[in-house]
Amino acid sequence: MDVWEQSQTVDPEVRAYIYSLVNAVGGQSTLEDRYSIGDDALAVLNDLRRWLQLYDEKTNRFDVKRCLAEANLVKGDLLEILALWSEEQQENKLKAKLAFACLQLLVPLTWPIELNEEKTTRNHLRHAPYLRLAQVGYKRAILQYEDAKILRTAIRIGLPSMAQERRERTARDEGTIRFILYFLRNIAIITQPQELPSQGDENEISRSSTIDAFHEQDAFSLLLTVASGAADDFVEQDVVVLQTLFNLLKGVDPKKLFLEESQLAKQETSELQNLIQKEKAMLSSYKKHAPTRHNRFGTMLWVKRGDDKVSTVSGQDTITNDSTTLIHMDKSKKWDRPRQRGRRVDDDLKEHEGIGRTVDLTDRARRHLRTFVEDFLDSGFNPMFVSLRKAIEREAERVGETIKRQYFYLISWFLAAEGARRDCSKARRTSAQGMAGDNTYAYIAAVLDQETFVLINRNMQTALDEKAWRDLQSILRCFTQILLTVQSMADSEDEEDQEIAENIQNRIFYEESTQDRLVSILRGYKSQGLAYLDAVTDCVHVFVRMLEKYSKQNVDLQIRSKRRARRKKKKAQQEQQPQTGGEGEENDNDNEDNEDEVDEEADAMYTLTERKFDFTRFSGKFLSQPCIDTFISFLHFYADLSADQLKRCHRYFYRLAFKNEMAVLLFRVDVLALLHKMIKGPGALSAEAEGYKEWETLVQQVFRRCIKWVERKQDGGDGSWREIAVVEMLFSKASGTVYYLQNGFDRVVEKR
Amino acid sequence: STTKDIDEEVRIKRARRPTAKLDDTRLLSSNGIPRLRKISKTRLKFRGKGHEFTDIANLLSMYQLWLDDLFPKAKFRDALGMVEAVGHKKRLQVMRKAWIDETKPFRNNE
Repeated sequence: MDVWEQSQTVDPEVRAYIYSLVNAVGGQSTLEDRYSIGDDALAVLNDLRRWLQLYDEKTNRFDVKRCLAEANLVKGDLLEILALWSEEQQENKLKAKLAFACLQLLVPLTWPIELNEEKTTRNHLRHAPYLRLAQVGYKRAILQYEDAKILRTAIRIGLPSMAQERRERTARDEGTIRFILYFLRNIAIITQPQELPSQGDENEISRSSTIDAFHEQDAFSLLLTVASGAADDFVEQDVVVLQTLFNLLKGVDPKKLFLEESQLAKQETSELQNLIQKEKAMLSSYKKHAPTRHNRFGTMLWVKRGDDKVSTVSGQDTITNDSTTLIHMDKSKKWDRPRQRGRRVDDDLKEHEGIGRTVDLTDRARRHLRTFVEDFLDSGFNPMFVSLRKAIEREAERVGETIKRQYFYLISWFLAAEGARRDCSKARRTSAQGMAGDNTYAYIAAVLDQETFVLINRNMQTALDEKAWRDLQSILRCFTQILLTVQSMADSEDEEDQEIAENIQNRIFYEESTQDRLVSILRGYKSQGLAYLDAVTDCVHVFVRMLEKYSKQNVDLQIRSKRRARRKKKKAQQEQQPQTGGEGEENDNDNEDNEDEVDEEADAMYTLTERKFDFTRFSGKFLSQPCIDTFISFLHFYADLSADQLKRCHRYFYRLAFKNEMAVLLFRVDVLALLHKMIKGPGALSAEAEGYKEWETLVQQVFRRCIKWVERKQDGGDGSWREIAVVEMLFSKASGTVYYLQNGFDRVVEKR
Repeated sequence: STTKDIDEEVRIKRARRPTAKLDDTRLLSSNGIPRLRKISKTRLKFRGKGHEFTDIANLLSMYQLWLDDLFPKAKFRDALGMVEAVGHKKRLQVMRKAWIDETKPFRNNE
C-alpha cells in the first residue's frame, strides 16, 4: 500500500470543511511575490483549532490531522504567517495574535503519536504512518525554513509572558509559555521512523541539524533560562525541559563531547583501526576453517566412536581436525530447544531504543552542544533536578510514566559529562601548569544529597518488585554514575571533597538492605537483554570494588542490617546440633527463601541491629550460583562486548576462582565450553584484542584447576572421585555439597 | 443416525507419538549417567600441564559424543542446558547426594 495515498476513509464532508478553511487562511499572492493573509485568518485558524479539539479529540480520531497534513497547512500557511511577523513588528498586535494562533495549531500537529494498547483504535492505526511521515516533513520545514527563523519567532511569542514574575502571570501567560516549550519538545522528539519509507533526506532533520537550529535560533538560551529558574520562576515547566533535553542528549557520548578536536580525530582513527583489525581477525578465523577446494569436491568422513559405531560427516576441513568434526556434527542438527516465551521483553523497548544507539554529531553540532551542556551544568542543573526530584517525590500530576526513567537517565548522563569536563580541564591545567580549578563538584551537588539516595533506593526496590526492567536499568545506570562520581571525589586533592565523599560513602554503604538489593537484582536476571545485563554487571562491579576499597580504609565500618528475630532463635538451635554445620554460609540464602514462602508472618518481626562489616562475607553473596549465571549470560555476548565490559567479567571470574577459591562453581560443562570457545574458536576473541592475554591466562588457570580437580586422588569411600567429578560437572552444584566438592573433605565445625 | 455412529467409529484419531524428552528417566537409564561414569574411566586421558586447552577439548568431546548417543536430536549446548535443568529435580538431587557420599571415607561417629 502506498503510504502517500489520499485517505479514502475520511468523511467527505469533514474533508470539504477542512479544505475550505485551509483555503481561507490565505495564499500566495498573484500580484506581489509574497504570501498574503486571508481576511478572516485569525477566526479561521481558531476554527481549525476547534476542529482538532471537537472532532479529533472528542471522537478519538486522527481524521482532521490527516486532512490538515494532506492540505499542506503547516508549510503552506502557518510557517508563512509566522515568517511575516518579523522582529521589527514586535508591537504589531494582530500579527502577534496570528502567530500565537499558528503556534496553537503547530503544537497539536507535531505532538508525538503514541499508540498504546488501550486507547488505539482502527482509525489511529490507519492514519498513524502517514501522520508520522507528515511530522517528519513538518520538522524539516520548520528547521530548514529559508526566510525566517521559525523557532526564534515562536519563542518571541512567549517572551512577554516569561518576562513577568510568576505571581503576576495570568493563566493565559502560563499557557503561552507551555505552548512554546511543548513546541520545542515536539521538534526534539520527531525523528524518521525506522519502519517507514524515508524520503532520503534524514540529514535535514538529524540530531546534528536539530542542535544547530536550537543553537542558532536561541532555543538553547530559552531552555537555560527556564532550567535555571526552575526553583522560582518556572516551577511547572521542569518536566517539559527534561523531556526536551532527554531527546536531545540520548545516545550522545558525553565523553566524546568534551574531547578536543585533535583528540577526537585521534580517537576516531584508533576506533577505525580497531574495527578494521577486528574484521581482519574475523576473516582470518574464517579462512582457517574455509574449504581449500571447490564446494562440490565431496569429501566424506567416518567418525569411529566406540562401541563399533560410526557417524558420517562431509566436508574437507573435517579430515584433519577432530574439533571441527564435532562442530560439524553439531551444526547439522536441525532441532532447537524449545524455550519458554513469556511476555516479550522488547515490547517496552521502543521508547527506550534511542538510548542504546549511539548518535554521532557533526563537528559544528558537537561544539554547540558542548557549550550548551557546560552552561547548563553551571547554571541550570541544580535547580532543575532539585525541582524534578520534589515533583517526583510528591507524585505531581505533570510527572508521567516515562518521566522517572528519563530523569534517572539524564542524571547519569550529566554526571558522566561533568566527569568528562573535569578530566578535560584537569588535563589542560597540568599542561598549562596553572592553578587548581574551583570546586566543580558543587555544580552537581543536587543529585548527591540524601534525598536523592532515598529516591533512588525506593525506586530501585519498586522497579525490582514490579519487574519494570527498563526503569531498573536506568536507575542502575544512574546509581553507577553516582558511585563513580563519589569515587573521583574521594580521589581529588581537595580535603573538603574527600570529606564529603567519605560521608556519602558512609551513607551509601551503611544500609545492608542496599547491598542485599543489588545481590537480588544480580541473582534475578532472566532474559532481559544485553543492555540490562550491561547495566547490572557494571553497577555490581563498581559497587563491589568501591566497597572493598572503602572497607579497607575504614576497618571499623558498621552496617545496619535487618534481622529476623525468629531466625536468631533458630540459629541458636542449630548451634546446638552441630552435625548440620557442614552446609555453610551459602545455604543460608536458600533457607531464607524457603522461609519466606512458608510463613510471612515471621517477616514482620524485624530487629535493626548494627554490626561490623565483613567484606569477605559480603563478597561471598555475589558469588553464588545464580549470580555467576548472570555473568555467564553476559559473557555469552563476548564477541559484541567492549574491552571494558570484558575486563569487568574478567575481574569477576578472577575474584571468584582465585581470591575466594570457588573455582568449583565454574566447573560446569557449558561454562567450560564457553571459555574454550572464547579462546580457541571458532569465533574466538581476536588475539590482538585488548585484554586477550589476561583472558587466555585466566581460562588456562581455570582449566588447569579443573583437570587437577578431576584427577584428584581421594582415599577412602567406595565411589571413585573421577566419576563423581564428571557427573557433577553437568550440573550447578548443590549448595550443601560445594564445600566438599571444592576441598575433598567436609567443613570441620568446632564443637562447643 | 446409525450411519453417523458408524462414521464416528471408523475415524479413530491416532494419538501423536510422544516427543522424546531428555528427562530424569532418560538421564538415569543405562545410556545416561551410568554410561558416562563408565566411559569417564577409559576415555579421559589428560596430558597435564601445558596442554590445558587440548585436555579440556577432549573432556568436552567426551561429553558431546555421550550426549549425542543419549539424545541425538539436540545440539550440544541445548542438551547441556536441558541436563542442567533436570539436575534440579528432587530425584536427581537425591541421587547426586548419594553418589557424592559414596566417595567420602567411612567414618565412625566416635
